[in-house]
Amino acid sequence: MKRKFYHPEPTKAELNGPAYWKSLDDLQGNHQFQEWVNREFPDGADTMSDVDRRNFMKIMAASFGLAGVGVTGCRMPERKILPYTKQPEFLIPGVANYYSTSMPFGGENIPLVVETHQARPTKIEGNPSYKPNGGGTSTFSQVSILDLYDPDRARSHRDSSGKAISRADAESLIKDAASEFEGSTGEGLAFLATSSSSPTRAHLVSSLAAKFPKAIWAEHEGIDLSNPSKAVSALLQRPVRTVHHFDKAKRILSLDSDFVGYEGNATGNARAYAKGRKINSAKEATKMSRLYVAESNLSLAGANADHRLRMASTNIPAFAALVASHLVPSVKAPSGFSELEQQWAKECAADLLGHKGRALVVAGSHLAQEVHQVVVAMNEALEARGKTLEYVATDENKSTSIADLAAALEGNKVKTLVILGGNPAYDAPASVNWESAQAKAGKVIRLGYSEDETYSARSNWHAFIAQTHFLESWGDGRAWDGTYVPVQPMLAPLFGGMTEIELLARFLSKSVTDPHDQVRKTFEEISKKSDSRTFNKWLAEGILPGSAHTAVTTAFNKTVLDAIPSRFSPKVNFLNKDNLEVRFVPSAHNWDGRFANNGWAQECPHPITKITWDNAILISAKLAEELGGIIPDPWSMSGQVFGQDLNQLVRRTNEFNRGREITPIYQVTVDGVTVEGPLHVQPGIADYTLVLPLGHGRKTVGRVGKDSGFNFYPVRKSATSTSVGGVKISDTNRSYKLANTQEHWSQEGRAIIREGTADEYSKNPEFTSQMGMESHSPKLYPKIKDKETGKWREMTQQEKAMFVPRGNSAYTPPKYTEIEKKSDRFKLLIPGRYSPDGLFDQDLDNDEVSQTYHQQWGMVIDFNACIGCNSCVVACQSENNIPIVGKDQVLRGREMHWMRIDRYFSSDVYRNDGKFANDPKPDKRVIPDEVQVSFQSVACAQCELAPCESVCPVNATVHDEQGLNTMAYNRCIGTRYCANNCPYKVRRFNFLDWNKRDMGHFYEGPLGPAGVNELEQMQKNPDVSVRMRGVMEKCTYCVQRIQEAKINHKAKHPGSADVKVPDGTIKTACQQSCPTEAITFGDILDTESEVSKLKDSDRNYAVLGYLNIRPRTTYLSKIRNPNPAMPKAYPKPFARMEYDARYGHGLDANEMDYLGLPKGGDDHVHPVGSGNH
Amino acid sequence: MANIFPRSANWAPIKIIIGIFFLATVVTSAVTYYATPKYLRVGYEPKQPVPFDHSWHAGKDGLNLDCRFCHNNVTKSEHSNVPPTSTCMSCHAVIKSTSPKLAPVRDSLLTGDPIEWVKVHKTPDYVYFNHAAHVNRGVSCVECHGRVDEMQTVKHAKSHSMAFCLDCHRNPENAVRPIEHVFDLGWHPGGENATNKDQKKAQHELGTQLVEEWKVQPPLSCFGCHR
Repeated sequence: MKRKFYHPEPTKAELNGPAYWKSLDDLQGNHQFQEWVNREFPDGADTMSDVDRRNFMKIMAASFGLAGVGVTGCRMPERKILPYTKQPEFLIPGVANYYSTSMPFGGENIPLVVETHQARPTKIEGNPSYKPNGGGTSTFSQVSILDLYDPDRARSHRDSSGKAISRADAESLIKDAASEFEGSTGEGLAFLATSSSSPTRAHLVSSLAAKFPKAIWAEHEGIDLSNPSKAVSALLQRPVRTVHHFDKAKRILSLDSDFVGYEGNATGNARAYAKGRKINSAKEATKMSRLYVAESNLSLAGANADHRLRMASTNIPAFAALVASHLVPSVKAPSGFSELEQQWAKECAADLLGHKGRALVVAGSHLAQEVHQVVVAMNEALEARGKTLEYVATDENKSTSIADLAAALEGNKVKTLVILGGNPAYDAPASVNWESAQAKAGKVIRLGYSEDETYSARSNWHAFIAQTHFLESWGDGRAWDGTYVPVQPMLAPLFGGMTEIELLARFLSKSVTDPHDQVRKTFEEISKKSDSRTFNKWLAEGILPGSAHTAVTTAFNKTVLDAIPSRFSPKVNFLNKDNLEVRFVPSAHNWDGRFANNGWAQECPHPITKITWDNAILISAKLAEELGGIIPDPWSMSGQVFGQDLNQLVRRTNEFNRGREITPIYQVTVDGVTVEGPLHVQPGIADYTLVLPLGHGRKTVGRVGKDSGFNFYPVRKSATSTSVGGVKISDTNRSYKLANTQEHWSQEGRAIIREGTADEYSKNPEFTSQMGMESHSPKLYPKIKDKETGKWREMTQQEKAMFVPRGNSAYTPPKYTEIEKKSDRFKLLIPGRYSPDGLFDQDLDNDEVSQTYHQQWGMVIDFNACIGCNSCVVACQSENNIPIVGKDQVLRGREMHWMRIDRYFSSDVYRNDGKFANDPKPDKRVIPDEVQVSFQSVACAQCELAPCESVCPVNATVHDEQGLNTMAYNRCIGTRYCANNCPYKVRRFNFLDWNKRDMGHFYEGPLGPAGVNELEQMQKNPDVSVRMRGVMEKCTYCVQRIQEAKINHKAKHPGSADVKVPDGTIKTACQQSCPTEAITFGDILDTESEVSKLKDSDRNYAVLGYLNIRPRTTYLSKIRNPNPAMPKAYPKPFARMEYDARYGHGLDANEMDYLGLPKGGDDHVHPVGSGNH
Repeated sequence: MANIFPRSANWAPIKIIIGIFFLATVVTSAVTYYATPKYLRVGYEPKQPVPFDHSWHAGKDGLNLDCRFCHNNVTKSEHSNVPPTSTCMSCHAVIKSTSPKLAPVRDSLLTGDPIEWVKVHKTPDYVYFNHAAHVNRGVSCVECHGRVDEMQTVKHAKSHSMAFCLDCHRNPENAVRPIEHVFDLGWHPGGENATNKDQKKAQHELGTQLVEEWKVQPPLSCFGCHR
């Protein structure tokens, strides 16, 4: 059956609605962009470049020739089976084993569970036993497994000349170096390590201090998050750390803190925060928490805020004082803030005060300690302690800083320097010239993972010791709340590496050097139990229950608290184009640079900018405009773009057509030091802030991270600094291509993400289903006659799931035999016989349906919980063997992620014939800086009437009995019709042999080096096919997990009718990794399943539902929770107002008023109250 | 101008057409017959490094060991594992401990190098066959592997083509048997002495009943085996 869908032509009024735009070009509305939108794939995505026709023919001729030679005869090759000689314990070939471990990350250990296949780790999951994270993971935990198989990791220990040496030789080199200090006080001995929560290491450090009292022990992290703890520790005069309980907070104020993005315990915070945002019904709408954010960079926290104030980071301390002045009487309000900012602070403080004991203030760790102390005072005033936060006692850390160590080195006081991990030559603060300092040491022992900047700065090397990955190490550590967790190896070190604790123990000539034995000893001390049973239980569970840090009960000294304001008098800085500020943020891809050689990390689009493989200088649209003619209207060929002259522009017009983001490279000068990077105009950034993401532009790095991004460390003076003053920016007249996935898949501002306010939802719970074109079309499903009451009623979810014929494709599954005919299953599968009045004359028995038929899989994604963190994207890549394609291919729109997160901006600027109603310069188009952000995770929705299926000429994609849209790779011939017909654009095509060839050799065909690195292959999930060139692929709802669960269930109940997998058993990879539990998956035939209950929610809707494709993945609309008392409080979400004006029921009086539109008489909008119709 | 072609050339086109037709028929028939697993795989009987005799170990007239004595993970895993050397040696450390035929087994245990068994049944990489799913649902080993308990050297008994799989997936009642008889390769639904026809009838009746009772619904879609 062919179906044609006609999108109604938008009316003039609709075209002139407010701007709901997805990119700068979208906002511009230029015709190239329109053409680009109308194309399925960007121009050039389906053509080969770099290879012309002549070359192509040459290569093909050669390959045909080789094929002739290569025929090895018709005999089947003989294959061998190699069983174990002795079966290892618990190891069944073909069955995955799961072991607990934890990832050391910036002084915190993240509890994990690792899936291994015959001792080969393939996938990382969160450890659900650790309640704060509850099985969720961050992208960093997800990508870390690929580092284990990094082809460029150090494969041997090396001596001073760089020659590979054996482990025994390495051990003796350590011994030699240590013996020089035997019997001395350790003067001239220095260590530089990364921060660690490992009690075993802490033991070693204290025995180091005992043995060599004069030795220097310094710790350094590229991204230092320790300021908040230091500030509170100073107040309480003991080492403490703040543990927040965002789930208990109803009102949250974040001062430049990305607490769900990168601050300590981000995964746990995200989970707790989402708990406060999830609502099951309209009655709970008003119970939602409310988030206020004042920040300079558009962070994940800011993207999820209900009220967001753009503010320079240098003014955040003063703003903290302004808010505090309403909460803490002794704090004086600084002068200089605008009326709006003062009003904002006042109302926000009032709202926080109205929720004493249920409110929370957090501040970014880059802010000075005084700010954090003011935050402590505010939280005290809000009675947060013991309710929404706790101060827990941590272990003392007596390390010195890298700056002190560098000073000692420069003074030629260090004879032997031991560098344990990290990469100080790359990420040391700019005030420390680490390379020259390092060269002053007598000799250096380096424990390193790969050849990095620190390695290339070697001159006085004594030994290079290859470090182990955490998945091949024994160790221990503490999670954020202090829970004692193991680091357990999944396999023996691949290249005989050494762990930090072993090296230290050897250096100290300890009797016990084996890391396992050391950890065992520490465990016995901490747990006070020495039996193997307790130890094994700890390893099995991955946490030691009851070992978390205890909350400190000592009250703050009142005089100390009262004294804070006297030490704290921040001023408001007035920034402008010539006096900019710089804000450093860790890379969302590489963190501090450690994941630079990790393809998953690099290729995962940045959550906000959607840039892959690079970083950029992020600036506001206002600054861009002031820098000169920013608003890129490159196709008009007039004026300047970013100050570049016309000639350059003309030369690059062709490149623009490819949908690439071409952007000028600018120089940033801070205190005489200059770095450069491409500009990216990012709405939502404070006017005069330059956001510089760290962690890119590594010079000495492996093959993957080569030439990616720009290094901004040289202008960062200290690990926590935000510079201000004297920051200059200037054009270099060069340009750069950014591989940005943002402009793919424009959705033209329809009711894609449906949004409402908490207030509206509680008054009109049905608002979600009143949006969208389908709310005006005839019902997709007929009414049926109820068996018991005999009355006509709407179908239930379950009946709907069974009502349509599976597939709608040319392929019908062959019929069963007698059994099939006996059951009334067929009755359900017959297309509905619609009577003229839209009723369906058929009786369905729900119980019988769910008893007799296969389970039907479905998914719900809750927009209220999704924070856009990308964890699902990487989890999917890891689970499903999704290849990395590289920057060059992303530029051609060939990225392969099965799951993507679309990020939409919406603004309150009303577009009226191309002019802006509330724009002071109505003749000029501007990019708004005040935006609201909406995230939408999209993967194959497994449509019941899938448009992809009906166009496949070879039936490679058909429906199965469980409602899955299957994809048979071996049938696929690569016509790509299906991708063209997919309304969600979720199908991915293997344009080249991503899995057979290394990046950079994709185009060389059979003449290029074949095969990829063996190490990389070891990560592949054996339960999923590795796809070849020329086939289409897409999300399968993790069918391998579904099948495994079904088979396991049957294996547990052999020969029985118990065939239904219980709800909750199957978790898709994205669902499992989601820190906020935004994704729910399960059987929609089961009325009691979690997913069925969510699908019955009044917030549930299908994206593009009017196409009648009946997707199995549906979404719950997003509810924002604005405070009406706030200045510029929006009556409806921006996206909603736009919808109302363009496709909905028009703007109501409130909305017109908010947008500054003349009431009445405007024929562009119909001021009808939205809601009922 | 004289005729270049002789008169007989008039028949050439027809002869060529007939020739091509004939050739096409032969090629098509040959490919359909020879290039199928039925021809290429069935009967494959490679020489193994150790002449392990299934008919003695598992056969009725021999030790009559259960399949799961060695292939112990077949009910839990997708693979039916080939036993580790230690399993062989658990008996052969005592029995025939000096037999020269068992030299590779003893060497393997001493050196730790595995015995290199030659693979007989090979599913393609894109097929995810699962043993546990079948043996726990009443499909006996014999359905796919034949009477291994009567083979001295294991050979490929059935075709294992996709059609072979689908035959059974479409009509599971012809293969499903009570769980307790799954590993009894010589079991007959109609009793020992029933005729072939009666056996089939008995199997069909029993199978139909079990399929109904256990709700056996073998997947017929691609994702059942390919993913």
